[in-house]
Amino acid sequence: MKKAITAIIAVVILALMAWGYADAARHSHGGLTEVNPQEIIFEHLGDTYGWEVPFSHSKRIPLPIIVKEKGGPWHVFMSSRLENGSEYQGFKIAEGGDYNNKVVQMLPDGSEYRPWDLSITKNVAGILISALLVLLMIFKVRNWYRKNGMKAPRRFTAALELVVDFVYTDTIRPIMGKEAPKYGPYLLTAFFFILTMNLLGLTVIFPGGANLTGNLAVTAVLALATFLITNFTGTKHYWKEMFWPEVPTALKCPVPMMQIIELFGIFTKPVALMIRLFANMLGGHMVVIVFILLIFIFGSMFGVAVGAGMTVLSLAMSLFMLLLDTLVSFIQAYVFTILSTMFISMAHVHAHHQEAVPEEVKD
Amino acid sequence: MELFKPEFGLAFWMFIAFLCLFAILAKWAWPFIIKSMEDRADLIDKGVAYAQEAKMHRDNAKAEADKVLSEAHAKQNEILREAEKMRNQLIENARSEAAIEAKKVTEAAQVSIEQARKETEKQLRLEVGDLALQIAEKVIRRNIAGDDAQRALVDQYLSEVEAKN
Repeated sequence: MKKAITAIIAVVILALMAWGYADAARHSHGGLTEVNPQEIIFEHLGDTYGWEVPFSHSKRIPLPIIVKEKGGPWHVFMSSRLENGSEYQGFKIAEGGDYNNKVVQMLPDGSEYRPWDLSITKNVAGILISALLVLLMIFKVRNWYRKNGMKAPRRFTAALELVVDFVYTDTIRPIMGKEAPKYGPYLLTAFFFILTMNLLGLTVIFPGGANLTGNLAVTAVLALATFLITNFTGTKHYWKEMFWPEVPTALKCPVPMMQIIELFGIFTKPVALMIRLFANMLGGHMVVIVFILLIFIFGSMFGVAVGAGMTVLSLAMSLFMLLLDTLVSFIQAYVFTILSTMFISMAHVHAHHQEAVPEEVKD
Repeated sequence: MELFKPEFGLAFWMFIAFLCLFAILAKWAWPFIIKSMEDRADLIDKGVAYAQEAKMHRDNAKAEADKVLSEAHAKQNEILREAEKMRNQLIENARSEAAIEAKKVTEAAQVSIEQARKETEKQLRLEVGDLALQIAEKVIRRNIAGDDAQRALVDQYLSEVEAKN
């Protein structure tokens, strides 16, 4: 019985694969020879106005575009108005050029002007959905506690509590000690937000599919938050170590060598946070897409039959990569959190070195 | 490369979303969740400590009960032994008293039998004498004058009877 079910599922999956391949071949009007992997990869990893409807290549869920006219008022309209290169109130989506795939204003002299753009793009919508999901998740736990008090948690609450316990009790508190309750909320929020965005980015269909944490703007904001907290809550001793560290005077007096190094350190830490998360998630997404594209590359090089044969191998490999990315999602969210914890607690050292500076954790 | 140029609009919305999320969760969710978790951990720790203490108490109580029970058993055995001894003694006493009594009764009976026998003997002797005398009188009445030899015989018999007693 079990074997029969497995066989049926396998046949259905293979049929779907072949159908998807044939469908894709039909849609690419110029035939399979025109596969441009680079364009496809960057289209998938980048941001778009409007959100693709699952399994449809042409339909998009319209999202609001919010742009400021040059020297004029703000304009708000739906992205459906700019579909297929059409122009609306002087705005259109640039094709090629410096502002490829961005909304630009066509100036009277024919040049493209990039306006202030606060549009709810696919990525912004993804961020808002992630934030909403985190809110729902955490408030579910909170309400459970409010309702059930001291009972043992079950199901979802228990699973989430395990994560909260691991991040807060086992990671943040040992590092921060007394200050854990003060910075715990920020670090926990960052952890769950990053984790949700990572996992939502891996989900193929709506509301997932937006490459959120694989976007530099998103990770930059996250790193900026840690940077601001680190430097605005830093103790006097932290700044003293910065500008007058306890090293031989020759290293700091005539030429402020140590000071320069320390100053760089302030910025390299958050930049490392930003790049680490960005590169890990982007890399994972890219490899998955490349594995899928192998079908079409092989198809265009050696013919349709080879491409069809490639589907099985490709999907197996991209499935493996997706599972690996799921692991990476957890690890990177955790790494971001633990490094933020360390940077913040390192800015809270006091004069007599009672705290050992934690070792750098490698990812 | 488009990927490496952070988009301002995206960063702006990300910042807003992150800030709102943080503000809401930091105010209404995290402190409450962390406090609840810690409270419950404390409660569980206390519960475990309490259970251990209760177990210790129970073990102590059990040991005490066992001790009392074994003492009671010992006492019971002692009482039983004592009772047994007492019973044996009572039986022994009763038996010896009964024996003494029986002996007394026997002796009294023997004395009275002896008396009765002596009485009877005396009576018998008298009666036998009388009878002999009557017989002798009858014999004499017939030929008393001429028969000395027979008279001597009677005497002899009487003496013999006397010697027998």
